[in-house]
Amino acid sequence: MQVGIGISTKNEPSLAIEEAFWQAKIQISSSKPNVCFIFSSPEFASPLLLKKIYPYLLDIPVVGCSTLAIFYNSHIYRHGVLVLLIQMEGVNLSVGVVKEIKKKGSLIAGEELGKELLKNFKSSQRDFAMLFCDGLLDEGSQLLRGLQERLGTSFPIVGGSASDNLRFLKTYLYFNKEILTDSAIALLWGGKLNFSLSFRHGWKPVGKSHTVNEAKGNLIKKIDQKPAVELYQEYFAKDNFELKKDLKLISSLYPLGIYLEGEQEYLLRNIRSIQDDGSLICQGDVPEGSTVKIMIGTKQTCLLATREATEELKENFFSLPYKKKMDLVFSWSSTSRYILLKREAEEELNIIQKILGENIPLIGIYTYGEQAPLKAITYQGKTHFHNQSIVLLAL
Amino acid sequence: MELILNPYNLVLVVAGFIIVVLIVILINNLERTKQLRNEIIQLKRTIDEIDLQSRTLIQTDMELNKIQDELNKKIIALYALHRISRQVSSTLDENKIFSSIENSHLEDMGFEKALAFLWDDKKENFELVLNIGYEDKEIDSIVKRLDKDFYLKLMQEGKTASSISVSEETLIKSICDLFNIYFFVISPILPKEGRKGFLFVGTDDLSKTITQGDEDLINILANQIGQTLDNARLFEKTWLAQQELEKKVEERTKQLSTALEEIQAISKRKSEFISAVSHELRTPLTSIKGYASILLAEKLGNLPLAVKERLEKINRHTDELVNLVNGLLDISRIESGKIAMKFEPYKLSQIINEVLDLMGVQLKEKEIQLTTEISADSEDILVDCEQLKRVFINLIGNAIKFTPSKGKITIKSFSLDHQIQVDITDTGIGIPQDSLQVIFEEFYRVDNPINQQVKGTGLGLSLVKRIIEAHRGKIWVKSKLNEGSTFSFTLPKVI
Repeated sequence: MQVGIGISTKNEPSLAIEEAFWQAKIQISSSKPNVCFIFSSPEFASPLLLKKIYPYLLDIPVVGCSTLAIFYNSHIYRHGVLVLLIQMEGVNLSVGVVKEIKKKGSLIAGEELGKELLKNFKSSQRDFAMLFCDGLLDEGSQLLRGLQERLGTSFPIVGGSASDNLRFLKTYLYFNKEILTDSAIALLWGGKLNFSLSFRHGWKPVGKSHTVNEAKGNLIKKIDQKPAVELYQEYFAKDNFELKKDLKLISSLYPLGIYLEGEQEYLLRNIRSIQDDGSLICQGDVPEGSTVKIMIGTKQTCLLATREATEELKENFFSLPYKKKMDLVFSWSSTSRYILLKREAEEELNIIQKILGENIPLIGIYTYGEQAPLKAITYQGKTHFHNQSIVLLAL
Repeated sequence: MELILNPYNLVLVVAGFIIVVLIVILINNLERTKQLRNEIIQLKRTIDEIDLQSRTLIQTDMELNKIQDELNKKIIALYALHRISRQVSSTLDENKIFSSIENSHLEDMGFEKALAFLWDDKKENFELVLNIGYEDKEIDSIVKRLDKDFYLKLMQEGKTASSISVSEETLIKSICDLFNIYFFVISPILPKEGRKGFLFVGTDDLSKTITQGDEDLINILANQIGQTLDNARLFEKTWLAQQELEKKVEERTKQLSTALEEIQAISKRKSEFISAVSHELRTPLTSIKGYASILLAEKLGNLPLAVKERLEKINRHTDELVNLVNGLLDISRIESGKIAMKFEPYKLSQIINEVLDLMGVQLKEKEIQLTTEISADSEDILVDCEQLKRVFINLIGNAIKFTPSKGKITIKSFSLDHQIQVDITDTGIGIPQDSLQVIFEEFYRVDNPINQQVKGTGLGLSLVKRIIEAHRGKIWVKSKLNEGSTFSFTLPKVI
């Protein structure tokens, strides 16, 4: 596998993409890449970005998204463009896209995406899927479920949702020549591929357990027989108005945690909005009858989780039967982690680099939701939609 | 009464016993249930208490997070201000001052949009010099709707305005509407000289809050921009002045070079002219001299005394004229390199002695005491002997001429690195200071009583200088009126 990575912080999108692209291209010499990834800060989401390099790529799939910030090795770039070119031998790859998700419904859109992936895939061995979706989709879990319907419920899927500059106004996906919203892109990988996955969040439960009495999809109507919002009102001693005002912070730092029997970590759900009737809209589904807790994260627990996830990733990768060197580590990290860690956000990257070695390129994006199998150690756990998490993929 | 134990009674007793036991168990169970219920209540209370503590913990955590967030924002903003200030002040190009402010700096300071305008006195309008976060069409609309009077007043008063410091709600609303934001800070840019203006920063994020600290930071930034504008303008002024000066120097140098070329051309023409004229003069002069000599020898018959006297005068003047012409010819030949110097090793004392032999009569006449001090290491020189003799003849001749009777002349030589230096010192009448610079020029004669009486060509020292220069040497003179003069020159040594 050959990996070429280029990054540019030039203000002009067309100049930035050109600089980043050629930096990456030089690194893979004359080989034709199998796939091109593009990640950029939201202000770079311009058609010029893709048009500029399209003539050089033509039939090579281009996939990417907007992000609050890009990280490359131990640095975080709030403004810029990153180009990743991957050239692999003996690896099968198919790329699928689904548009107009809201109109189609997330579940159906997910199924459509899965169908397209399988249609384009020319190998019997499927290893894992990578998913990028619009960060403002309300029903991310349903999209995932739809995809699982086609790929298999225990099939490992990793990915994340595009983000913007924490305004939650518009996030973008890049697909070949197009800039998309209300869409999702997935890549199905298989063949002679060494890979490992890991995931952690580090948020801990606090207070007593509560029962979700009434819920549908990502909407929680009642908790402990009371309007769901009352749980947050009681814990934060704030009325609806104050809660709405601080919702971004509360949602990022104190999500709901769903207890799942036999799983290592609680499944986290960010509160997206508060309805007038006191219902809560979450980023991801909350099953009716589930036991939930308010979760709390600290910098220490957050960084400890990163350490654990990286160690697990390393252990899994090097315990594979046909050992190989690690060529690339890709990461989806929640914007909540960025908010919590603030100026220490680069510390998270340092931890990963220290454990894996600084010579292994690390690239990643900040996301509004992540997808990863809950029990990533065995790959047998079902993939869930997460919040506040860091997902690592080693190739 | 007799107790009859029959099976019926036995059953009754057993049943009674069982009932008693059951009652005891029931009472016990009731007690335990009560105890368990109490424990459950206790446990529930503990859980509730822990939950309450959790709430306090969460609320405190959130407050701490908020405070930390604020603190972080301030630190990041200060860093950003520091970075902007450094970048802004690192340029001395007025156009680059504003373009060095990047959107990442602005975001770190908590804003996404920024505009800066400078007031154009002639056009009576604000000129846009910085735009972060606005599209061109938005800018057009903002520029059209800008309330000039308000911003000019702000600049005049030097006040910073923000959505927290402006008290009029309608004004805040109109500013927010104009710039399409929720919060803003506007600070005047006030350089000491030149165009003034204002810096606007804003955010359309409702969740953000503006504090006095934000206002202060933007004020510092605007001041920094003002100072840098001053520096840039001063630099530009200095730079322009320097450019002008350089241009003038260049022009003047060009003029001088042209003048020098002209002078050199004239000088060349002069030398050629002198050379030509001298040649032309020498032939008739030789004839005149020849005929005068024949007549004076009275080979053509005796001459009356008066005629003889006149002929002697002709002969003498012809000699002077021949000397003058020869001198001119020599100078022009040396100048044009037509005389090839024959450099050969000689002993300095030998040349001096030969010259002194020629001049012995004159020295004796004026009773001048001449001493020579030739150091051993300055003896061997590489010179054209005949030309060097002319140097000594001229310089010693001058020394004798301008030294009163019973005066002294000293010839001294010593070694330098690759040369020797010769000093010829007299106790003569000396040379005025203003003549020292021009004494070696052709036809220059120092204005003194002796020169007025004794005729001379004014070419002697000029010829000496050219001969010394042809030896790659230097000649100079030091003199004090009425005390004497020292002529010094250098000559190449035999190595």
